[in-house]
Amino acid sequence: MRYLLLLFVFSLHLFAVDATLKIETDVEHRSRISLEDGSAISNGKFFKTLLADLKISGHFLADSRQHKGDFKSSFVAPALKSQEYILKYTLTQSTGTKLRIRLLKASNGAEVFKKSYAIPTTAKAPFLAHKAISDVNDVLKYPSISWINRYVIYARYTGAKKSEIILADYSFSYQKDIIRGGLNLFPKWADAKQQSFYYTSYAGDIPALYKLNIYSGSKRKIASSEGMIICSDVSRNGSKILVTMAPDAQADIYEMSASGGGKRRVTFFNGIDVSGKYVDNESRIVFVSNRLGYANIFKKSISGSGVTQVVYHGRNNNAVDAYGSKVVYSSRESQKSFGNNTFNLYLTSSNGSGTRPLTTTGTNQFPNFSTDGTVIQYIKHRGGSSSIGYINLKSKQSLLFPLGGRKIQSLDW
Amino acid sequence: MIKKLLLATSALSLLLLTGCGQTVPELPGSTSNISDATAITGDAVSIDESGYGNGSGSRGNSSSDGFQSIYFDFADYGLSSKTERAIARNVSVGSKSSSKIKIEGNCDEFGTDEYNYALGLKRAKAVKDALASRGISASKMVLVSFGESNPVCSSPTDSCYAKNRRVDLRLMK
Repeated sequence: MRYLLLLFVFSLHLFAVDATLKIETDVEHRSRISLEDGSAISNGKFFKTLLADLKISGHFLADSRQHKGDFKSSFVAPALKSQEYILKYTLTQSTGTKLRIRLLKASNGAEVFKKSYAIPTTAKAPFLAHKAISDVNDVLKYPSISWINRYVIYARYTGAKKSEIILADYSFSYQKDIIRGGLNLFPKWADAKQQSFYYTSYAGDIPALYKLNIYSGSKRKIASSEGMIICSDVSRNGSKILVTMAPDAQADIYEMSASGGGKRRVTFFNGIDVSGKYVDNESRIVFVSNRLGYANIFKKSISGSGVTQVVYHGRNNNAVDAYGSKVVYSSRESQKSFGNNTFNLYLTSSNGSGTRPLTTTGTNQFPNFSTDGTVIQYIKHRGGSSSIGYINLKSKQSLLFPLGGRKIQSLDW
Repeated sequence: MIKKLLLATSALSLLLLTGCGQTVPELPGSTSNISDATAITGDAVSIDESGYGNGSGSRGNSSSDGFQSIYFDFADYGLSSKTERAIARNVSVGSKSSSKIKIEGNCDEFGTDEYNYALGLKRAKAVKDALASRGISASKMVLVSFGESNPVCSSPTDSCYAKNRRVDLRLMK
């Protein structure tokens, strides 16, 4: 009897642990949803894009099977009654792309929402998928996932002193060359609407920072510097930029206006200070410095002189991004001089508290926060292949999309 | 008794788990009849800059005009005693020319992002300082860091990586 009572208490404890875990890992209710393709010609790639969008949102438990059905009918197959919603869609691609969607309640087939989308191109079809899922997410009153509609801009090497700058959707399904040829690096979005970006050009005798409008093609030189010049961050309203440059052959971080005027030196160190990112309502920056003899993350106010160490772990933390007071950094965790080293991503705060690992395997670099700070984008190299990865900090969902073979130099989102 | 206890355990556990579930978010009661053409904005430009930034020489990246490349240890930007002969040669070549000298810092592929470009710059500056201390005017030298963008070698060997951790020199024409 005593053992039975012990078993009873232990069982309760087990269930209680599960229940607690459930709340922690599933903070918000996720809707069970199935996709039903009503297109005349099925497009598996488009289905996968919709499915990936649902998964990375963190708000849906998506059925990964591709169902077929009549788009106009409100009949819900018995096998799908266990879902909460059915997202019916039909995709037509001839000269352009047309997408129609209907969101039905699985229990009774009632239509909750419908919408149609059309664009005069087939290449940008992934953006229709992203917009549709973003709209469905909004209709169900979940927190916005508008970041899936944003462009990614990135540079990749094509040879010695050769690179290209490419525009992509977040899943890299859509890609378009913006600048081919030459050596053009470190693209960084200049405005919230993603109309223009900054980049470093090596076309002249010394590196120069340019701003290019991706729709008009208009280009303006912002500044140049002997040695190096890189735009590391842009203020939220786009009026100020943080730039690593070396007017005296010494890499330090400067703040200047978006037009290149009003230059102010922010760091003063006879070593390496790079990758300045605004934190704490743009009153301070976090940055990478070798002032302790190895690359690590530090913080200072824009106008003050004191420097604070943010990270007390790892011996080579050479990439950082920030959102509000959240900080993500890449840390080398193996000591091989050559070959594939293990780099993992860590999330911390600008005062160094609450540090936790985000990845545990492979080489994980180039961390970038989404515009709302809820998702982290990064590049993962593992087993000879590279992927673009996303980690939803709230739902802990993660996704990887495979990349081509060329080496990515830097990216912004 | 055992059966009853097990039944009670299961029932209580089920209640606990059910209690943790959350309701489906409230939905608009009626159908939304929305139909529009979404503004996925217009097509972006494509710019070809293939004419710019060509490499120098057949390998595209070694020193030229009689200068000799200077090599560095992993993640380091200090000049070792082994570079003395090459520095002396570069002082000799540089002092005979009236043209400006371009000093290019380069790295292997193991650094990332901005840090590698700053490391390349520190290497270029170390060479500039060495040349300046031997009589070459600082105003005659221009520094550019190419980070890991300008490898001379891409084989996965230590000797190959070592060739990429270097400073190249050439005359500006």
